[in-house]
Amino acid sequence: MAPDGPPSATGRAVSCTDLVKVFDASGDPVQAVGPLDATFAAGHTTALVGPSGCGKSSLLRMIAGLERPSAGTIRIGAETPRDLTRRAALAMAFQDAALLPWRSVRSNVALGLSLARQPPDAARIERLIGLVGLAGFNDRRPAELSGGMRQRAAIARCLVSAPELLLLDEPFGAVDELTRRRLNRDLPALWQGTTAILVTHSVVEAAMLADRVLVLSPRPATIMAEIDIPLPRPRDEDDAALRDRIAAIAAALRDSGPDRVLAAQ
Amino acid sequence: MKRHRTIIPDLTRRRLLGAGAATLGLAGLARPGLAQTQDVALQLSWLHSVQFGGSYIAQDRGYWAEQGLDVALLPGGPNAPVEPPVVAGTALVGISAADYTAAAVEQGAPFRIIGVAMQKNPFAIASLPANPVEVPKDLEGKRIGMALANMPVLEALCTLNDVALSEIEVVPTQYDAAPLLAGQVDCLLCWATDLPVAMAMEDIEAVTMLMADHGYALHSQTYIATEESLAERRDELVALMRGEVAGWTDYAEDPDAAARLTVRMFPDAGLDLATQVMQAERQVPLMFSSLTDEHGFGWFTPDTVAANIETLALLGRDVGPELWDRSILEELHGA
Amino acid sequence: MTAPATRRVARPAVPVVRVGPLAWRVLGVVGLLLAWEALARLNAGSYVLAGPVAVAIHGVEHAGLLGRALRATLVNAAWGFLWGNLAAIGLAAVILLVPRLERLLVALALLVFCLPLVATGPILRVAYGPGDGPQIVLAALAVYYTTLLALLVGLRAVPRSWLDLVESYGRGAGAQLLHVRAMAALPYLAAGLQIAAPAAILGAMVGEFTGAERGLGVLTIRATRALDVDATWTIALLAAGMAMAAYWAFGALLRRVASDPPALLLAPPGPALRRGRRRGAAGAAVMILVALALWQGGMDALGLNSYFAKRPGDVLTFLVTGPEAASHRATLLAAYAETLAYTLPGYLAGLALGAGLACAITLAPGLAAVAMPVAVALRSVPIVTTAPLLVLALGRGSVGTITIVAVMIFFPTLVACLQGLRQAPGDVIDIFASYATGRWRTLVLARVPAMLPAFFAAARMGVPAAILAVTTAEWLATGRGIGSLMALTASTSDYNMLWSAITLVALTAALAHTLVARIERAVLRVYGPEQLAR
Repeated sequence: MAPDGPPSATGRAVSCTDLVKVFDASGDPVQAVGPLDATFAAGHTTALVGPSGCGKSSLLRMIAGLERPSAGTIRIGAETPRDLTRRAALAMAFQDAALLPWRSVRSNVALGLSLARQPPDAARIERLIGLVGLAGFNDRRPAELSGGMRQRAAIARCLVSAPELLLLDEPFGAVDELTRRRLNRDLPALWQGTTAILVTHSVVEAAMLADRVLVLSPRPATIMAEIDIPLPRPRDEDDAALRDRIAAIAAALRDSGPDRVLAAQ
Repeated sequence: MKRHRTIIPDLTRRRLLGAGAATLGLAGLARPGLAQTQDVALQLSWLHSVQFGGSYIAQDRGYWAEQGLDVALLPGGPNAPVEPPVVAGTALVGISAADYTAAAVEQGAPFRIIGVAMQKNPFAIASLPANPVEVPKDLEGKRIGMALANMPVLEALCTLNDVALSEIEVVPTQYDAAPLLAGQVDCLLCWATDLPVAMAMEDIEAVTMLMADHGYALHSQTYIATEESLAERRDELVALMRGEVAGWTDYAEDPDAAARLTVRMFPDAGLDLATQVMQAERQVPLMFSSLTDEHGFGWFTPDTVAANIETLALLGRDVGPELWDRSILEELHGA
Repeated sequence: MTAPATRRVARPAVPVVRVGPLAWRVLGVVGLLLAWEALARLNAGSYVLAGPVAVAIHGVEHAGLLGRALRATLVNAAWGFLWGNLAAIGLAAVILLVPRLERLLVALALLVFCLPLVATGPILRVAYGPGDGPQIVLAALAVYYTTLLALLVGLRAVPRSWLDLVESYGRGAGAQLLHVRAMAALPYLAAGLQIAAPAAILGAMVGEFTGAERGLGVLTIRATRALDVDATWTIALLAAGMAMAAYWAFGALLRRVASDPPALLLAPPGPALRRGRRRGAAGAAVMILVALALWQGGMDALGLNSYFAKRPGDVLTFLVTGPEAASHRATLLAAYAETLAYTLPGYLAGLALGAGLACAITLAPGLAAVAMPVAVALRSVPIVTTAPLLVLALGRGSVGTITIVAVMIFFPTLVACLQGLRQAPGDVIDIFASYATGRWRTLVLARVPAMLPAFFAAARMGVPAAILAVTTAEWLATGRGIGSLMALTASTSDYNMLWSAITLVALTAALAHTLVARIERAVLRVYGPEQLAR
């Protein structure tokens, strides 16, 4: 892993074709996604933004192999999500950090290696804990950490297995604004060069983290707009160019959002 | 009786009674013993107590060991099966009672009664001197505490003695004397050898009316074995019963010693020596009679069997004399 | 970076029950002892109650005997505890890995758990022969079901994301069990063990009734028959003391493994809701067929003699197709009706008292210091020693039996309801406080609805407990009803009737359990929909 290096070819491109997801739990089918076509460039971070409940998390979970598409295909390189998970070549970060409370920070990070069936590597674990800014907290339990620290530990666990694809499901959604700003500033550098897909409902976060932002429509999710953010990192929220991009995303979101739905009725 | 065999050991009743069981060892030399040590079990009908004192003597004095028999004495209890282990073969012999045995046979268990420890049934009506039940007629107008399970017993007693059952108020109780002492009932249906003894230990001398003295003829503490064992494990049955007879014969001579032995052998049973001594004495007249004096411990005759069959009929049990099988005792006592 | 939040999240401001001011406790204990002694002296000569002085004297005088008996019982209880809980862990793992089997296995587990001890005891004795087998198995049978339920809840009380985490690495159910569920379930296991500990002691004692050389159960029988009230009470208190010690010990363990002990009894009423009525009926039919097959097959495999080990066909003949079936049914149903007439009021009274006292403790926290130890003691005294005493004290009418049932139900309900009352979200309580709502209104409007899931879980678990209580009381004390019928039929070799009674009791338990679960779902749909979702 080369946190400071340029985007490299180690990541895989992800492509979704005619992707549809229908939930039918109660005999009342709900179409959550699609039909949707999208590609996620190799080695880049792509953010998915959209109104609440638009199906962006379902899309991410399908890419992670946690849900099966109802129709359509997902390819990661030439492989299916299942192929990738079988090789333990992707890692996912969750909104609630998903740290196991009985394990210390070090042990939670180590879990990323052991779940990926990789040999234990104490030095690598220590280094990643340091990189996410948790040096000195190796032996703490999650209950002893703040929300932001927990997310840092979760990111370390994701990266420790050097995944080819990193999936982030609103990873900073549950932390306070100040902490979130810091995380947005500090962490993206760590996964530069890895293909990353980020789900967020925060326009600012999307602009801070992503190379490209896909704006999704209300349910069922389809791509309404694509906005590139060709800005250098680390980025600054108050930077004029970034503010400009933020405004563009917000405008696209407004166009796709509930207002549009209301207008259509 | 059927399956009677001619090989009778050189052991006469007179010698057994006269010289006590000490001669058994000598007699054993002349007797075809078991080829090798056999492990068998005797299923008792209740927790360890002097109720089975003769068996403990047999164990303690080696009356079984010298015949090549190693007998495990399996305790019973309020929820312990007695007849099923005998059917299943866990126990070679069980201590039952004529009515329970009859019920089991009715249900298809292939039992025979091969010996009778209690010639007189121990069931009694216990009451307090202030309000006594001395004859069955006294029951009329009284509240009797008993397990509902024993209703047939009460009905039989009433029929035998012309007592109006409708005049008796039956109160279901657990098997202990407290309801009588607490005044919840006027009398109890119980064994003469346990609850009255417990009351005596509390300095309450109860009036005890033995049902056997009022026509209730029913063998109790009977030795039962399956037809299969009688046919195929005869040597072991004979050896086991020989030990029993010897043990109980010793018991009759010194019940106190039996009580002391019981308390010594079972330190974990929570037995009280004074209680055991009194119980040991009180069960002597139930177990030994002119009949056993004449023929030896455990004996029964066609007459006593006939009386039992009559009482069993009153209890709703229809059995014939073939339920009793004296061949083992005859082999022992050389009748 | 923010400072580490080392402070644990504060609990809602409902009293933590086990902590009472020391002075209160001492006063309470001394008061109880004095009242007890006074009561015993007033009742001297009635052979019901022994005072603390008499108990102390008896205990000292027979220390050796009591110690050996205690050891025998505890060793068997411990083995049963071990095997029973291992069985529960194994079953839970199977259910987790093959979820399709859940309904069947849980239903069968319940059915076996509901088999009346008075009937299973002798059968185990025959199957095992002499020794400690029946004591250990009965202790195991007394514990495995509650542990299984606790584990099933615990193994599932895992955030979805923890499981997704494992799955996202391409790992399956086995890895989820190993890395996530097993540890997450530990606090629940500990809470289950806490409930199981007293039950194991009771099981071992009942096992001794099937013919044992030594143990507290043996001494109990002896003492009751010998009018030895001092001994009866000493044994009862000793057994209760051990049960309470085990209860507290596992409670301490629980507090060690879980910073926030789980609300154990919040077992969801099962995943049957989404299925149609027809699927439910088919499931029940499969369940019954499997149970019958196990019954027949188990007996055949063990080679149990058909004289006492009756098969399903025997029972069918006896109750339905045989020549005297009608009179057999009449006998059985008469006893059954009598039993139900005691069970229902006792069951309902126990539930009402438990929930009521839980509410009272919430309103007047000082009450907990006195009420909880008494409640634990009541629950821990083995029912085999208390049943005869209670019946003697309260009379042989309906009151005694109903009280015994109520006592068995009362304590688990109290504990569950207290946990439930604590579940009321803190911010809801805060809102009520900000409007200066009185304690009483807060209780009714916010806490009682939050308590309902726990209450119903207790009500479900109370079904087997009520059946155990009523059959034991009928067997050992009152001599009425189906408990007595089972004891009687066992002693008179009427094994057809015995197995018919067992079948009826087990079916009743399963049906009652289902009925309570139905009511529970209907109520929770309104008050706690989150409990039904998984």
